[in-house]
Amino acid sequence: MMEDLNNLMMGFSVVTQPYNLMIIVVGLILGIIVGVLPGLGGANGVAILIPVVVTMPATAGVILLSMIYWGALYGGSITSILFNIPGEPWAVAATFDGYPMAKGGRPGKALVLAFLAHGAGAIFGVVILTFFAPILAEFALKFGPAEVFAVMMLTFSAFVGLGGKSPLKTVVAILFGFILAAVGMDIVSGQLRMTYGTVVLMGGFNFIVAVIGLFGLGEIFLTVEEGLKVEGISTRIGLKDIWEGMKEFIRYPKAIIMGMLIGCWMGFKPGGATPASFMAYGFCKQSSANADEFGKGAPAGIIAPEAAAHAAGTSAAIPMITLGIPGSPTMAVIMGGLMIFGLQPGPMLFKEHADFVWGFIASSWMGNILGFFLVLAFAPIFASILRVKFAIFMPLIIYVCAIGAYAVNNRMIDVYYMLIFGVLGYLFKKLDYPIAPMVLALVLGDMAEQAMRQALIIGHGSPLVFFTLPLALPLMVAAIIIFFWPVIAPLKARLFGKKA
Amino acid sequence: MRKAEIVVSLLFMLVGFIVIADSVRLGFMWGRTGPASGFFPFYLGVGVVIASLIVLLKAVNEYRKQGEGKPLMPPGALKPILWVVIPSTAMVAIMELVGLHIAAAMFLGFYMRVVGKIGWTTTLLVSIIAPLSLFITFDKLFLIPLPAGLWGGYLLRF
Repeated sequence: MMEDLNNLMMGFSVVTQPYNLMIIVVGLILGIIVGVLPGLGGANGVAILIPVVVTMPATAGVILLSMIYWGALYGGSITSILFNIPGEPWAVAATFDGYPMAKGGRPGKALVLAFLAHGAGAIFGVVILTFFAPILAEFALKFGPAEVFAVMMLTFSAFVGLGGKSPLKTVVAILFGFILAAVGMDIVSGQLRMTYGTVVLMGGFNFIVAVIGLFGLGEIFLTVEEGLKVEGISTRIGLKDIWEGMKEFIRYPKAIIMGMLIGCWMGFKPGGATPASFMAYGFCKQSSANADEFGKGAPAGIIAPEAAAHAAGTSAAIPMITLGIPGSPTMAVIMGGLMIFGLQPGPMLFKEHADFVWGFIASSWMGNILGFFLVLAFAPIFASILRVKFAIFMPLIIYVCAIGAYAVNNRMIDVYYMLIFGVLGYLFKKLDYPIAPMVLALVLGDMAEQAMRQALIIGHGSPLVFFTLPLALPLMVAAIIIFFWPVIAPLKARLFGKKA
Repeated sequence: MRKAEIVVSLLFMLVGFIVIADSVRLGFMWGRTGPASGFFPFYLGVGVVIASLIVLLKAVNEYRKQGEGKPLMPPGALKPILWVVIPSTAMVAIMELVGLHIAAAMFLGFYMRVVGKIGWTTTLLVSIIAPLSLFITFDKLFLIPLPAGLWGGYLLRF
């Protein structure tokens, strides 16, 4: 504990250097803009910036990437509340009660409530990151290949068993992601796989390109399909709004705590901010005494999903930095940034690059607190960005996406891939195939395969190796139970339901 | 909607079979130094085939019982989407010739003027200023070379 605090102080001394402070502010402003614009989300906002960031020092670069995420988390709710247009998928739940409250004549208060909830969720996630991540990293040092593979199995079965969408389609999406990751050179033997003699496929698929296509273009196609009508409520946030918002905010401790806990869990287990916000909204509505107020501008209906979204975003950094398993798609892209700098996420990062890790954690404190004041002060200005016609900023977004996709590897073919992934992302969304687990499988594919093959070699070819090692066994058993949860849950209900 | 469902699951099955075929070529059993190259992809392929087969059967079953269901896209949505897909594909194709920034300028101008019906002044301003500023930021300030295409290098010489 004391050691963590000392390390955190060290981190702050890194973060308060003028250059890094400037990076934080620039990153947050860019992030909020990314958050406000529909079609330009956190994941592809970060992905586009990766080529730029490579030219910076590692700590500053990763800070910039993470600031985009924090800023986008804050910014997404501005347009949800004022325009009924979610700037980000995780801000959809904010439209349910945020927009009605704003329409009912209290836009300032709705914004203040949302920002306070974001701030609370963020701080909760960062506190957990600061004090829990070092413990988890220490523990994860004991992991061998079998355990690493077991943790990944657990991660992916969480998507299947607890994801809520069609479990079978989730399985297909995950396996498809792994297949895409396997294309190209086999990292163990150096053989070429699934390239069919073409040079183009030898380089494989880069997940950053996939993210830009799936989240960027796919999202644009969806927005175009729905047709974007901007009917905004204009507002400014006065001191009175802030005072009243704060008084209102503390009257809903249950919604705040519920949001923070659900968010943290969803960020950790990988799920990410989007499912977290929906889940928190649902839970809060179910357990509320006056559930019929929800949807008409209930303060708790703003607080719970917003706190959950931001807590999920910040705590998604915990598994990323300690285990190398990103807790959300955006975090996966940030992890891609780390790897470009040669920083391999995982337990060794805490030992080998302590200065980087603590700089990153300190910047999360700094960024989330500064971000709160930025949106509070300038929300109306950021909101006015959306008054620019969609036909102007939409082609600009595609242009910037193309730059990002090309610059990742300086390959023209990646720009074509981006287009294909865009159409794929649209189809996935329409047919309810989840995108997040597919991206995660594409990111972790090589690592998972390597871990599995090493573990099998250790076990002399017997898959029992995953079930005999003391640390791997409970992880694997948990993974299997969660994987079959959609089958087990109805069975359990039938067995125990009849007795009651 | 259900038709699309069936087609997509068939495509996934096809992907699965292609992967299995290549894994068998690489060897999916125990090689000289441990699991062979095709080991992991083989099971991925098998898994995709099985899972998408179940998705397919379910979709066919529902199709028989309940007919086609909702259309994949709401009526009238295909046109605006194609108005984005085709020009952006064209932009990428033109990129090969004149480079990214010039192609993007053409794309911006086309989309804003023809599809978005934005006034000439705004269209011209945005489609000149945006590519120019991005060109200066990426190519000149951060020294990230973006595709110049076949002729782009001659056109943007500064």
